[in-house]
Amino acid sequence: MKRVILPLFVGILFLTLQTTLFASLPIQRVRPDIMLILTLYLALSYPPISGGILAFLMGFLMDLFSGNSFGLYTLSRPFLFYVAQLFKDRFYMGDFSFQFFFGFIFTLFEGLLILLLLNALNPGPLGHLYPLFFTFLLPQSFFTGLITPILFYLFNKGSSLLSNQHGMGIGERA
Amino acid sequence: MDALLMEICSPFQKASTFVIKTVHGAFQEYLFFFHLQKENVMLKQRITELQKENHQMKEMALANERLKRLLEFREKISTSAVAAEVIGQDPSSWFRSMTINKGEKDGVRKEMAVISPEGVIGQILKTSPYHSIVLLITDYNSAIDSIVQRTRAKAIVEGLGENRCQLKYLLRKEEVVVGDVVVTSGLSGNFPKGLMVGEIKKVEKHGHGVFQYAELVPSVDLTKLEEVLVITGSSLPLQEEKGKKTKKTKK
Repeated sequence: MKRVILPLFVGILFLTLQTTLFASLPIQRVRPDIMLILTLYLALSYPPISGGILAFLMGFLMDLFSGNSFGLYTLSRPFLFYVAQLFKDRFYMGDFSFQFFFGFIFTLFEGLLILLLLNALNPGPLGHLYPLFFTFLLPQSFFTGLITPILFYLFNKGSSLLSNQHGMGIGERA
Repeated sequence: MDALLMEICSPFQKASTFVIKTVHGAFQEYLFFFHLQKENVMLKQRITELQKENHQMKEMALANERLKRLLEFREKISTSAVAAEVIGQDPSSWFRSMTINKGEKDGVRKEMAVISPEGVIGQILKTSPYHSIVLLITDYNSAIDSIVQRTRAKAIVEGLGENRCQLKYLLRKEEVVVGDVVVTSGLSGNFPKGLMVGEIKKVEKHGHGVFQYAELVPSVDLTKLEEVLVITGSSLPLQEEKGKKTKKTKK
């Protein structure tokens, strides 16, 4: 139960940070998506069912506080969770550079997915959104990638401290 | 003999007095510096406290000024409105919305207009008992019926995602120029008529279409918003706009 409730609290805390502190920073346009990093961490360290439900809840929280009425994140976050799970046992996730690359690629992937969904669901053309790929999606993915190893490290420390179950975290598992 | 002895002893006395005075002076100086140091630490602390107080006072004065303007503006609009504080921004970078600290319990409902003394901000998208989400005019899901103030040309203001909007369905024959002010038409039912939306920054007439393309920048700096007004009553034209109309009819 603790394994499910705690990430949910961390998710709420991260959402608060993302909507207040990060939004007030000068780089708010390209602020890192720490909620996505949490979802990626869940994908690498949680089983498919409980992790999938948590990823769904993270996406739902994002949709609840955003101006998006389609529920795009409720759809994209569990999807990203299961895609990221495919990489779980294929790569050594303890490497910092790989964690950066992992965060970068998944932010980019989600951005493109949202862009495609927006274009498919909106009646009018949204061609003016494509330049955003270079002006904000790429820098945002970069920043999210940079933060990913730091947060993964903290999540690992936190989870091993709380549960005393070594080998649960990604770095330690390998 | 007395004089000789005195002359011999006096330099020693003099030297002794000098040494005592010097030592005493040095000790006094040490004590003085010690006190000075203590006083310095105390004064530094006091300066920090005063700076903090000053900062708080400035913040309060600024908030007071903003609230005063909001109150004045609220009196100007002839409809009931609720003042709310902005407590959060959109968690994603794709959408433009913000969270306010007023909800259904305060009379806030979906699609109600959200404004500020500088102009239109957006409309209520989601509500909960004590909080609401405001969809900003710069979000591409937002559309507001507007008119160009100078030419009275009708158009729909749609968000472009970034800090700008576009004028949709603006007829090609309308003579619109850069710098023209766009105001609400009052036709959508949510916004009072004559409220400033923004200023046109770009006009393009390419191709042979029926419409022309115009881009505008909102009059409100949506990134620096702290307090807003939610129009909870039925929207009526602004008193200024009404005043102008009565003057015109009198003439």
